[in-house]
Amino acid sequence: MTEASETYTFTFMREVSGLLHAADGNPFPMCVQCGTCSGSCPVAAYMDYTPRQIIAMVNAGLKDQVMESNTFWYCASCYQCTVRCPQGISITELMYALQRYSIWKNKYKEGLIGPSFSEAFAKMIVRTGRTFEPILAPSYIFSFKLGEFFREIQNATELMIKGRLPLLPAQIKRLDNFKRMVRRIIPMGGVE
Amino acid sequence: MKEFAYFPGCSLEKLAIGYHVSALETAKKLGMKLHEIEDWNCCGSTTYFHIDELLAYTLSARNLAIAEKTGLDLVAPCSACYKNMYFTVAHMKKDPDLAEHINYALEEDGLHFSGQINVRHLIEVYMEDIGTEEIKNNVTHPLEGVRVAPYYGCQILRPKKDHMDIEHPLFFEELLTAIGATPVDYPLKTRCCGGSLIISSRPAALTMVKNLLQSAVDRQASVIATACPMCQVNLECYQQSVNQEFGTNYSIPVLYFTQLVGLALGIAPKKLGIGKELVSALPVLATS
Amino acid sequence: MAKRLLIIDDDPDFVSGIKAILDTAGFEVDVAYDPKEGLQALQRQPYDLLLLDIMMGRGAEGVMIARKLRKDAKLREMPVLIITGMREQIAFLFPGEPIHPHFVEVDELVEKPVEPNLLLEKVNSLIQAAEERKAGVS
Repeated sequence: MTEASETYTFTFMREVSGLLHAADGNPFPMCVQCGTCSGSCPVAAYMDYTPRQIIAMVNAGLKDQVMESNTFWYCASCYQCTVRCPQGISITELMYALQRYSIWKNKYKEGLIGPSFSEAFAKMIVRTGRTFEPILAPSYIFSFKLGEFFREIQNATELMIKGRLPLLPAQIKRLDNFKRMVRRIIPMGGVE
Repeated sequence: MKEFAYFPGCSLEKLAIGYHVSALETAKKLGMKLHEIEDWNCCGSTTYFHIDELLAYTLSARNLAIAEKTGLDLVAPCSACYKNMYFTVAHMKKDPDLAEHINYALEEDGLHFSGQINVRHLIEVYMEDIGTEEIKNNVTHPLEGVRVAPYYGCQILRPKKDHMDIEHPLFFEELLTAIGATPVDYPLKTRCCGGSLIISSRPAALTMVKNLLQSAVDRQASVIATACPMCQVNLECYQQSVNQEFGTNYSIPVLYFTQLVGLALGIAPKKLGIGKELVSALPVLATS
Repeated sequence: MAKRLLIIDDDPDFVSGIKAILDTAGFEVDVAYDPKEGLQALQRQPYDLLLLDIMMGRGAEGVMIARKLRKDAKLREMPVLIITGMREQIAFLFPGEPIHPHFVEVDELVEKPVEPNLLLEKVNSLIQAAEERKAGVS
């Protein structure tokens, strides 16, 4: 390749940038650490590191600390940081990229519900083409505190009484076509 | 008669059934026809982006290709579905390689998406295609004296689409004014409700819900209006959890804008799915 | 003349491992660490073989690249060796399922981790087969 890239030192920043589409926002090193993202983030108080800190850490190559943090799993996908970033960095996309990175490497902070929730959700769609809410909650409420647990059950019961919870999972009609479509994007499974 | 292809999305089948029936009822009354597209699939919500974005776009593209066959604009009542489909169109238009690849996958279902479709949010259609004048002309039961907190949420506005004011939107207030209600000044109206975190990061999500409820109470709103099933469920169904967690005593109904519009148009509450809330809206509405 | 290879793979640790093996065996090896950079490299100069990862960038972009190459008159003849860890990477979604063997017309697919001798054997035989094909045509 070109001379510049021969001498190019690989960093975590470069690796994470590669996970985003090039058209999505400006490179992370353009971050000026103004903190508009962290100030706009409704979840920042619950994160191990704020979005501003995470960008600095990605740029500094602090891979282990970033991957060990809950920050990107606590992103609510509200895009408030992204629309306000004066440097045009797609911060929400960065959070998605870090989630992908950690799911593909099967490496994330212990005790997080986010990754397994994502996986269960994705699995359901790949198998039925639809979402079925009752499957989602029950598998996770066991990790809740006792009070939350009963609250959740009560909520579900009330919703059931009001006719707002489906009793049977929905599925699309052309499910076989749908599954073959998925396999053209992710080529897993034997030849049908 | 204005006609649209309609993508209800998974929540509107049951959890947000009130949104679905009220959308159809009010649309009919306002001279608009919503044609539900055939055999649609889940839009993938936000979770697919954690795994494979190409698959996320493909899931949306299948619905877009089905809708495109109708030759009509596609309307989504759910903000997450709307955002996913809107940006799938944008990405596929911008990146021919991506479009080619996704269309190769769509072949398996005999579909092709050419990018010739506009994706719209339901509330956007009410404001732009029907318009406040027309809505006002059809109001028979103005919601006089009902103080409503207009909750926009996130993904209707963000990421930025081509046309909306994302920091200080006012269209929801204009809609509420048109049906005779009183929109309150709701400072957190575009602040996230934490819907996507309610399972995965509960303490954060409950705090976000609490802040929104408190802000509505502070402004003496008697009902919160939403335009997204995720926001509605989060703000309504978790009020008791919030009360338990924070020792508060919130009991504020959360209705879909279509339910409020329907009431003002004189449609019977039952036909609008009112009565299916966990926090009953009837006491509030009886005062109007 | 030394054969030129291109690796498109987003995992720098894996790349440094196989690059060392291929360098030692006398190949000239270029590396692209993301799909976009990889496509640009392929446009810049011809390669005798491409070593291609699957899960990178936004998703399974390796599939997209392989399909694109097979439709390109100039690049169609270049042999491609897919080296992927995708079965592990998304095992939760398709538990116990194999990778689809003929999802795109490529020459070979091996799964990570790759044993060095096997790697060299595959690389050599793919390059040789491509040269024989070329000689047969002209």
